[in-house]
Amino acid sequence: MEFKKKTLSNGLDIIGEINKAAKSTAVGFFVKTGSRDETKQINGVSHFLEHMLFKGTEKLSAFEVNEAFDKTGAEYNAGTSEENTIFYAKVLPEYLPEVTKLWIELMRPALRDEDFNMEKNVIQEEIAMYKDMPNFDVIDRCRTLHFDEHPCGNSVLGSEESVGDMAAEQMREYFSGRYAPNNMVFACAGNFDWDEISSIVETSCSEWQKQPVVRELEHCRGSKKKQRIEKPNLVREHICLMSCGVPAQDPTRFAASLLAVIIGDSVGSRFYWELVDKALAEAAIMQFGAMDGTGAFCSYIRCSSENVRKVLDTVGGIFHGLSESGITEDELKKAKNKILSALVIKNELPMGRLVDLGFNWIYLKQYRTIEDDVEAIKAVTVSEVRSLIEQLAPGDFTQFSIGPA
Amino acid sequence: MNFCLLVEFLFLDNTIRYKRYEKMAENVDKHILKNGMVVLGEPMVGVESVAFGFMLPAGAARIPEGCCGASNVITDWIFRGAGDKNSRELGDALDGLGLHRASSVSSSNITLGAALEAGNLTEALELYADIILRASLKEDQFELAKQLAIDSVRALDDEPRQKVMLKLREQFYPPPLGRSTAGNIEELKVITAEQTGQIVKDNFNLSQTIFAVAGKYDFDSICRQIEDLFATNISTALGTPYEGRLSAEGSETKDDGRERSKYVHIDNEGAQVHIGLMTETVKPTDEDYYNARVAVSVLSGGMSARLFTEVREKRGLCYAIGARYHSLKEAAGIMCYAGTIPEKAQETLDVIIGEFERLGEGISEAEISRAKVGLKSALILQSESSSSRAGAIGSDYYMLGRVRSLDEIKNKIEQTTTNLVLDFLRNNKFKGFTVVTIGPKKVSI
Repeated sequence: MEFKKKTLSNGLDIIGEINKAAKSTAVGFFVKTGSRDETKQINGVSHFLEHMLFKGTEKLSAFEVNEAFDKTGAEYNAGTSEENTIFYAKVLPEYLPEVTKLWIELMRPALRDEDFNMEKNVIQEEIAMYKDMPNFDVIDRCRTLHFDEHPCGNSVLGSEESVGDMAAEQMREYFSGRYAPNNMVFACAGNFDWDEISSIVETSCSEWQKQPVVRELEHCRGSKKKQRIEKPNLVREHICLMSCGVPAQDPTRFAASLLAVIIGDSVGSRFYWELVDKALAEAAIMQFGAMDGTGAFCSYIRCSSENVRKVLDTVGGIFHGLSESGITEDELKKAKNKILSALVIKNELPMGRLVDLGFNWIYLKQYRTIEDDVEAIKAVTVSEVRSLIEQLAPGDFTQFSIGPA
Repeated sequence: MNFCLLVEFLFLDNTIRYKRYEKMAENVDKHILKNGMVVLGEPMVGVESVAFGFMLPAGAARIPEGCCGASNVITDWIFRGAGDKNSRELGDALDGLGLHRASSVSSSNITLGAALEAGNLTEALELYADIILRASLKEDQFELAKQLAIDSVRALDDEPRQKVMLKLREQFYPPPLGRSTAGNIEELKVITAEQTGQIVKDNFNLSQTIFAVAGKYDFDSICRQIEDLFATNISTALGTPYEGRLSAEGSETKDDGRERSKYVHIDNEGAQVHIGLMTETVKPTDEDYYNARVAVSVLSGGMSARLFTEVREKRGLCYAIGARYHSLKEAAGIMCYAGTIPEKAQETLDVIIGEFERLGEGISEAEISRAKVGLKSALILQSESSSSRAGAIGSDYYMLGRVRSLDEIKNKIEQTTTNLVLDFLRNNKFKGFTVVTIGPKKVSI
C-alpha cells in the first residue's frame, strides 16, 4: 500500500492509498460539517443539504445524476453526522475517473427551489421513519440531553418544525460557508492511478474559493440528567446511557475503545454476562464515539418494563465494580483480539480503508497505516484503562428512556 | 437505498463429487465427507482473514409444527456450554480468538458463521465442532435462551419496519415456508427443553450440512480437520429432519390455485404506515431467472430505477422505498418495502403497484443496460469480502447443488436483452400482490 497526498492552493486536500491487488476502489469527499455547525433556526440543514447534492447541478438534473451513477454500476451513498458529511462510492477501477468527475460536479450543486421543496417531503418522511425506530430515537434524544447546550447535542435530522420552516436561501448561505475547499478532503482507496485521479481533482477543483471556516471546539462532560418519556404504542423499555469520553485527537482513544468493548460488546462483555446471558435484557451494548474536541460513551439497553429496576441496579453494579477494581489482564487481551480482528477484516475492503483514511485526515491531518493502529491497540495497558475509568467516571451518566405508559 | 442485491456466487461442478477434493480451475474447493457433509472453500489472495459458516438443516420451516421459534432458541442454547466447557468458558474461548460470530436463522437453515484472523481458524473449528456435536443443552440454560427468544419476538412490536417484512413472508409463502424466523410467542412459551433438544438431535444432520469457508486457509488441512472432527461422529448426529412436508408442499407453488391477492393490516399508532408487498416470480433454477433479476433491477436496482424515481424523486412520498428479489429453494418472489406518513400511504401503494404493472409495457435499452452493469458490478464488489464469499458459496450450493462461477453469472446477465426481459414479463404477468401494512391507517387494495 502506498500513500499519496497533494494540497491545492485553495486548501483542498487530495489523499489516496493505492492497493494494486484490490479489485475495486472506494472514492469520496469528506466535508467537515454537520449538525454541530448549525444554529437552532436551521437545525437539520447539513443533512438536508446532503440530500440536495444529489438533486443536480447547473448542467445535470436529479434524474441525470442518478442515471450517470447507475451507468457505472457504482454503489454510492452519503451520510451526515454531528460533525461530518461524507459522500462515497464503491466502484470498479475502469469507472473511477467517471465517478470522480461526478462527485466533483455534485459538490457544486444548483440547490433549486423546486428541488428543495420536493426533497423537504422526503426529509419529513425520514424524520417520521426514525420516530418509529425507538432504538435510534432514544439515542438521538439522549445525545441532546447529554450535550445540553453544547452544539454536539443538535439533532442531525432536525425537527419537523426546523425543517418545515427552512428556506432554500438559508441552505444556500450555509452551503457557501461550509463546502469550502479548505473544509473538505477528497479521498481514494484501492486500485487506482494516482496521477490520473489527482490531476482530475486538481483541474476541476482549483477554482473553488477558500473561505474562513470556524467550529466551536469546547469539550463537554455531559449534563448527567435523567429523563423518561412514554409512548403508548411501545411494548419494551429502550434505555440510552451517555457519559463523557475523549476526543478523536487524544491518544487515549484506543484505550477508550477497548474499555467500551470490555463493558458493552454484543457478546462476552460485562453487560453481556450480567444482563443478556441472564435474560434480564435482550440487548445491551456500549460504543465509544470519538469526536472533534470531545467524545462520548453511548450504551443502548432494551428490556421489559418489569426488569428496568433490576437492569439499572445491575448496570450500577458493573460501573461500581469497574471503579473499585478496574479491569483484568484477561479481559483486556480478549478485547484487543476482538478489535484487532475487526480491524483486519474491515481494512480488507477498499471502503473500510477509505473510511479510516478520510477520518484520520479530517481529525488528525495524519496518514496512519493499519499497522500503526494495530501497534497502538497492542500497546494499551490495564493501568491505562484503569486511569481512564478514574478520569472519565463512566458510571456518572446521562440517561434517557422511552417506554410504554 | 435500503435494499442490497442478493449475493451471487462461484462455481462448482457437481459431477465430481466423491473425489477427495479438487482444486477447481474456477478457484473453488470442494470435498464431501463420508457422512455426506459438504465442505466448500474459496481461497482469496491478499487477505489475512477467513470466514466460515456451517449451514445446518434446522431452519424455521424444517422443524416440527408447534415449535415456531425453536431454531432461535437453539442458536443461543448451543453456545451456553459445549464439550468440556461451561457457558462462560466457551464464550471466553471464542472471544479469546477474536472471533466475530454471526449466527442466523432462515426458513431452511441455522447458519453458524464467524469471521476471524486466519491464524486462529484451527482452534475455532474445534470449538464449533463441540458446539454442533456436543452442546451441553442444560435445562436451566434453556429457560434463559427461551426467555431471550420470546423477548426478541416482543421487541418486534417496537420495530414495525422489520415486523412488516416477517409478516409479509408469512403471508406470501405457503406454510411452513413462510414461518416467522423470529418465532411465535404462544408456541415459544410452551416448548420444552426436551422437545428442543430433540430438534437438535434430529436436525443437526451432517448428511445435509454444508460447511463453507473463504479467505486465507489451507484446504487440505481444513478437510483433514473437518474429517477428524465431524466424520467420526456419524452416530451422534444423523437424525431425520422434518422436511418431508417442506419439499412436498413447497416444490410447486406456481400453479397451486391459491388466492394470491391478500391483505393484512396490523394497527399501530406509530408515525408511519409501513407497507410490505410481494408478488410471485421464478426460482433461481428457472431458465428465466436472470431475466427476472434484470427486471427487478429495472424496477429498483439503483437510484435511477423506476420505484425510486417515481415514488421518491418525482412525488416525495417516501424516504425508504425499494424492491428486491427474494428466494427460498421452493418458491420466490419480488419483495417491496415502503414507509410513509398515513396521509400518503394509499398514493404510495397505488404508485408502487402501478410501476409493477407498467414494467411489462416497455423498458428502454438504457434501463436494461444500467440494470445489467449494476448487477455485474455488485457481483465483483461483493467478491472482496471473505464473509460474503463464504455465505455465497454455501447458499449457492444449497439452492442449486453447485456453485456458479463468477463468469457464468456474468455471462448469463450479459445474455439478457430488452426483448427477453419483456417476453418474460408478458408471459409471467404478476398474479396479484400480497400486502401487509403496519401503522395508524389501512389502505385499500
